[in-house]
Amino acid sequence: MKKRFSTYIKWAVLSAALFLASACEKDFLERAPKGQLTFDTYFETPDHAIWATNAVYQKFRAWEMCAFPWIGITDIISDDADKGSTENDGLYILEIDNFTFDATNQAFQQAWAGHYQTIFRANLAIENIPNIDMDVDLRNRLVGECRFLRAYTYLRLVQWFGELPVITRPLNEDEYFTQERRPVSEAYDLIEQDLLAAIEVLPEKSQYPSGDLGRATKGAARGMLAKLYMVKKDFVNAEKYCREVINSNEYSLLPKYADNFMPVGENGAESIFEIGAVAIQAAVAGPGATPYNMIQGVRGIPNLGWGFNRPSDDLVAAYEPGDPRRQATIIYVGEVLPDGLTIVQDNPEILNERYNQKAWVGAHPGLQDNGPGNIRILRYADILLLAAEAMNENGKSADALEYLNQVRRRARGSNNFILPDITVTDQSQLREIIYHERRVELAMEQHRWFDLLRWGRAESVMTAVGKNFVANKHELLPIPQSEIDLSGGLLKQNQGY
Amino acid sequence: MKKFHLTTRAAALAMVILLSTAYLHAQHQVSGTITDLADGSPLIGANVLEKGTSLGTITDYDGNYSLEVSSPDAVLVFSYVGYTTEEVAIGGRSQLDVSLRLESTLLDQIVVVGYGTQKKSDLTGAVGTVKTKDIERIPTANIEQALQGKVAGVYVTPNSGVPGAGAVIRIRGTGTLNNANPLYVIDGMITYDASLVNPQDVESIEVLKDASAAAIYGSRGANGVIIITTKSGKVRDNAVISLSTYYGSQEITKKIDMANAAEFAQLYNDLRGQQFYPDPQALGEGTNWQDEIFRTAPIANVQVSANGGSDKFTYNISGNWFNQDGILKNSSYERATLRFNSEVQLNPWLSLNTNLAYATTKSQNGPDVVVSAYHMPPVYAPRDSTGDFSDPTFFGLAIGNPAADQFYKSNNHSKGSRLFGNIAANVKFLRNFTFRSNLGFDRGDGQSQYFEPAFEVSASQRNLNDRLSVGYNQNRDWIWEQTLTYNKEWTNHRVTVLGGYTAEERYRESFGGSRENFPGTADELLYLSAGNDTTQMNYGGAVDEALVSYLFRVNYTFLNRYLFTFSWRADQSSRFLKENRQGSFPSFSVGWNAGEEAFVRDLDIFDRLKLRFSYGLLGNQASSRPYPSTGSVTSGLYAVFGPGEDLNQGATLISLANPNLKWETSSQADFGVELGFFNNRLEIEADWYNRRTYDIIAAVPIPDYAGSQDDPVVNTAEVRNRGWDFTVNWRQGGAFAYNLGATISPVENEVLKLAEGKSEIFAAFLQGEPATHTVVGLPIGAFYGYQVAGVFQNEDELANLPKLGGEQVGDLRYADLNDDGMVDDKDRTYLGSPIPDLTYSFTGGVEWKGIDFAIDFLGASGNKVFNAKKTFRFGVYNWEASFVDHWTPENPSQTEPRITNGGHNYRVSDRFIEDGSFFRLRSIALGYSLPANLLSKAYISRLRIFVLGNNIWTSQQYSGYSPEFANGANPFEVGLDFGAYPVAKSWQFGLDVTF
Repeated sequence: MKKRFSTYIKWAVLSAALFLASACEKDFLERAPKGQLTFDTYFETPDHAIWATNAVYQKFRAWEMCAFPWIGITDIISDDADKGSTENDGLYILEIDNFTFDATNQAFQQAWAGHYQTIFRANLAIENIPNIDMDVDLRNRLVGECRFLRAYTYLRLVQWFGELPVITRPLNEDEYFTQERRPVSEAYDLIEQDLLAAIEVLPEKSQYPSGDLGRATKGAARGMLAKLYMVKKDFVNAEKYCREVINSNEYSLLPKYADNFMPVGENGAESIFEIGAVAIQAAVAGPGATPYNMIQGVRGIPNLGWGFNRPSDDLVAAYEPGDPRRQATIIYVGEVLPDGLTIVQDNPEILNERYNQKAWVGAHPGLQDNGPGNIRILRYADILLLAAEAMNENGKSADALEYLNQVRRRARGSNNFILPDITVTDQSQLREIIYHERRVELAMEQHRWFDLLRWGRAESVMTAVGKNFVANKHELLPIPQSEIDLSGGLLKQNQGY
Repeated sequence: MKKFHLTTRAAALAMVILLSTAYLHAQHQVSGTITDLADGSPLIGANVLEKGTSLGTITDYDGNYSLEVSSPDAVLVFSYVGYTTEEVAIGGRSQLDVSLRLESTLLDQIVVVGYGTQKKSDLTGAVGTVKTKDIERIPTANIEQALQGKVAGVYVTPNSGVPGAGAVIRIRGTGTLNNANPLYVIDGMITYDASLVNPQDVESIEVLKDASAAAIYGSRGANGVIIITTKSGKVRDNAVISLSTYYGSQEITKKIDMANAAEFAQLYNDLRGQQFYPDPQALGEGTNWQDEIFRTAPIANVQVSANGGSDKFTYNISGNWFNQDGILKNSSYERATLRFNSEVQLNPWLSLNTNLAYATTKSQNGPDVVVSAYHMPPVYAPRDSTGDFSDPTFFGLAIGNPAADQFYKSNNHSKGSRLFGNIAANVKFLRNFTFRSNLGFDRGDGQSQYFEPAFEVSASQRNLNDRLSVGYNQNRDWIWEQTLTYNKEWTNHRVTVLGGYTAEERYRESFGGSRENFPGTADELLYLSAGNDTTQMNYGGAVDEALVSYLFRVNYTFLNRYLFTFSWRADQSSRFLKENRQGSFPSFSVGWNAGEEAFVRDLDIFDRLKLRFSYGLLGNQASSRPYPSTGSVTSGLYAVFGPGEDLNQGATLISLANPNLKWETSSQADFGVELGFFNNRLEIEADWYNRRTYDIIAAVPIPDYAGSQDDPVVNTAEVRNRGWDFTVNWRQGGAFAYNLGATISPVENEVLKLAEGKSEIFAAFLQGEPATHTVVGLPIGAFYGYQVAGVFQNEDELANLPKLGGEQVGDLRYADLNDDGMVDDKDRTYLGSPIPDLTYSFTGGVEWKGIDFAIDFLGASGNKVFNAKKTFRFGVYNWEASFVDHWTPENPSQTEPRITNGGHNYRVSDRFIEDGSFFRLRSIALGYSLPANLLSKAYISRLRIFVLGNNIWTSQQYSGYSPEFANGANPFEVGLDFGAYPVAKSWQFGLDVTF
């Protein structure tokens, strides 16, 4: 009897244990990432729409979008700048400066990847924000901002690489390896449609609340569209959109040229589009920082930066006598920096030391990698000069002079002995003058290479400064070798590489 | 001390009285010799005991004994470790010689398998066993090293010289590859981290190699399972108390041959094409940075244990202290472990097992400057003439002074504690049933503290504000297993059925913060509150997972000869979305103890002859990420707007997720033979296996145009690992005992299929080119690139021989493999495999008159190493000495191109591929045990002193520290040396005492 009883107890205990063990099973296996939003519940609230849009802007402060890859294949590759720094530092950038690069140079892969990552963020937002139940105007605006940013990103890519895979939404797993390069017209069309749509929905700069200053505007979209038409040599449309920017009366030239690159110029009257950055207290690069200032900062004492992107001798020589823009663009040894305090010391490890003053920033929290300088993308002066260039091409030389001389007048300031008004109306002479004016006005602002490309002058200019430029090859950068390998050869290399 | 003597004397007196009493009554003396039945050699130190009394003695060096017994009719018990015990009635004789038979140990050995034990003779799976005896002579710092070279098919790669670091284990080839770490089961608790188990606490380690053995661990069995059983108490009158300790010193096994200052200066002049250094020779040797960062470091270990118990309660208690300084300066690791294992028989049907281990660790984590020492030009001294640390950034901002890093960045400490163990209740009922409920737990806490003072060496090596960073982390893991076992024996049949249900959860959480600007640097001030609160930063996060499983197994043995096993496990893991959550892993196996058949026995050749076959499916869920199927939205992607430059929250998906991820599974077939000859002194075991791994989960590079910041995790490929495991052992007992053994494991790795729509996988991108290329028919992650055909010797060759374009005279000439007259990406080819096709080990041991000697060798061959550290040249880094003999017009080298820095000559080619084969004397140990008669007065039953050498000698082709280095988890990116930590060699002296 006793034995049987104990047996029952044991069975009872056993069954209870098994039952308890299986009872809690149902939710036991449902686990989600901790301390993190997940995609399956994202894009559901207005906040999500705003955050997803902000994340696209943020990407423009990333290394791939604004540091070595960006500076390397805009300024350093051009006749405006040399690699800079000590002769041993940053050797893959030296290959770009000297045109000894091949398709394996990291700068191309970084730039390519960084830009497509930006496009990925924009695509996600453009695809998902319209499904969020929220204020319609805000929703349209946010989608418009993302379309502007996507268009701008594609505009950079298409000028560098030519034909591109045109990706307009996040890829599915079976599409990772199947994309091909599409004719440049497809990228142009996408850029055009995005910008036209953005113009429709984006407010003017003055219509934004002050806390949103820096978001893409109607003016920015018009200006960027004018750039696209310049690339396409559609000067009629280029003129049209330049004039829309000008006639909007949203923008004006700052009285002092140099102020454009000082904190006072950030989002100022002349700024059409720029990427905001801020140095908040941080051990290393803080959450608002950019490496843009660090890589171009003065190397040595005062010890702010790496000293890359050295303004070239050719650029120094390009300024008209007494042009104050030269001083505002270039830092020399012995110069008192714009903070009025620091003097640039000679760094014996760097030959012919010079730095890009437009990337200079004053004292700020954190180390040099906590760069606080907004990255200027589009200035009103740029639009004025594009307007002048387009109008000259459209046979309106006289009108062109007005915009050109606005830019010169501002540069001149009160000094009437320099930079006289231009009066030439001969189309081809004026063309040269406008080209030259663009160079000195916008030097070291990463426009030069794109200008040379659309003018078809890369070969002649680069050869003239003694670079190993090969015609019908170096007008386009090579598609990164890694990308060609990963595509299994589906992506074809550009000619000559 | 005095007291001890008094006690000793009293005891001795009592013994004399006792013995004289016995003498009065008995007065019978017996003597004789004890020998080995097989070869007649004398057995030294064998026990002779009169049954039922405490009268006894041991044999001397010639196997002789002499004993007074109480009566001429007494029964003597003869015993000797490893031999069968014999009982012989004296029957009035005064001379009694006995031959003992070597125990057919393996046949009767009990082997621990998952969720139970089995007789070795009944096993149908491939299980490698290592017993205490095999590891106690050569103490190791961790479990992994204890396994090195002991079991065929188990390949141990020392992780690094980082103190306290474990090692990487691969079972049967780097097969599944992706997270190929085996599963550890420590007294029933499942973990991937066995670092807290002290090898001296181990009773046995079983390695479950094939599907039959490992399938009971289902989704985690694919990489093999290592079951560690820690020592349990034995029933005995007095506890056995042991003390063992060793002390030693470690240093690096080799240095990399770098250019010295004179050579560097010459190379730099050659690079620049100008006399930057007017007189390179004057610079002499300069600084060998390896000498600056490495040191000779001590290692020490002390272990004390007590083992004993009664029939109701047995225990094993141990305490251990282990201290290891790193061979890299400012690194150290200290660990103290307490272990308490017990078994209590509460009543006839209920017993409780408890295994508890508590460990605390403390370490200093100096900066890893191995790579920066490799880069640092030798023309700099650690400090310049003014006493400041040298600033090397003239040669590039990426170069930091390693001596300065070691000086400024070493106030980096971590502490941890871990409670690990299990409590199990065993209920026996209805005669043949056992129900076991086992609760395992693993609770760890860690904290880290890093203080970096403000300093400035250069623009890239400096810290503006002093900063303290602290971090806390915790893990809470538990597992609860219910198993029911039915066990029944009939005359000709034996059946065991096991069913079970398990649930487990793992949880890890961490948080931490930092502040800057401390009022001082004294240790007492280094707490966050002392820092400036406007500089504070913090973080926190957690990861968890859960698993629910059902398991089932039947073992059936017929006539002791015919063996069958079927096992099955179903796992559901939180790592997969519902649709793909369930994984089912069955296996079956059969065995035939042919040696037990009359017709084989009649041959009188085999002492053992067993054939076995198994087939089954296994999973590898560990290869996936904790939440692979759900895209994580990254926040903190702030945009800056407005005149106030406010941070505006930004958040989005930055990488592609893969909701379709499914289980990685592998199927494995195993055919094994076990043979015993010469009274089982010669044992041979051979296994052939064929393992196919399907749907290997890995992050595979996809084109950048997809815009994913991290590569998505996908099911990628099907890979086969096919090979043999051979084990041969010869054991000879007796006065001159010796053993010889070898394990040989050839393995062949081949990709059978790639995921739908893919014909190749490129990975391991270096300077924009892939270093590995995975295609069907070749090993996974095979190296890929150009073949060096020579060096362009002159303008004529440059003009006429195939080239990539842009080369100059003196540059490498890559082979035009497809003969199309030019070199392009189509000329890249297979350059070897990072996976060894043969691993092997040899062991030997001798015991003679108290002297013991053991030696272990191990090696691998057939693998290549990609010396990737040589290819990175962001600035002008120091060169390896091999560059000195570079091409010049006067030195027409065909292998070393002209000196350049990056670009053409650094493209991915066989220039950087080296032979990874090696042969190493892993350990050599010599010990001496003092004769028992000298020790007995001090109540010491055994005292052994020893000296041990680890990694003393290595033969390798590879120019780096070691061709053995641990890589990341990605199977497509192994075998690339980016600057791996060197392996340490050491000499140790030790003492083992048993009371």
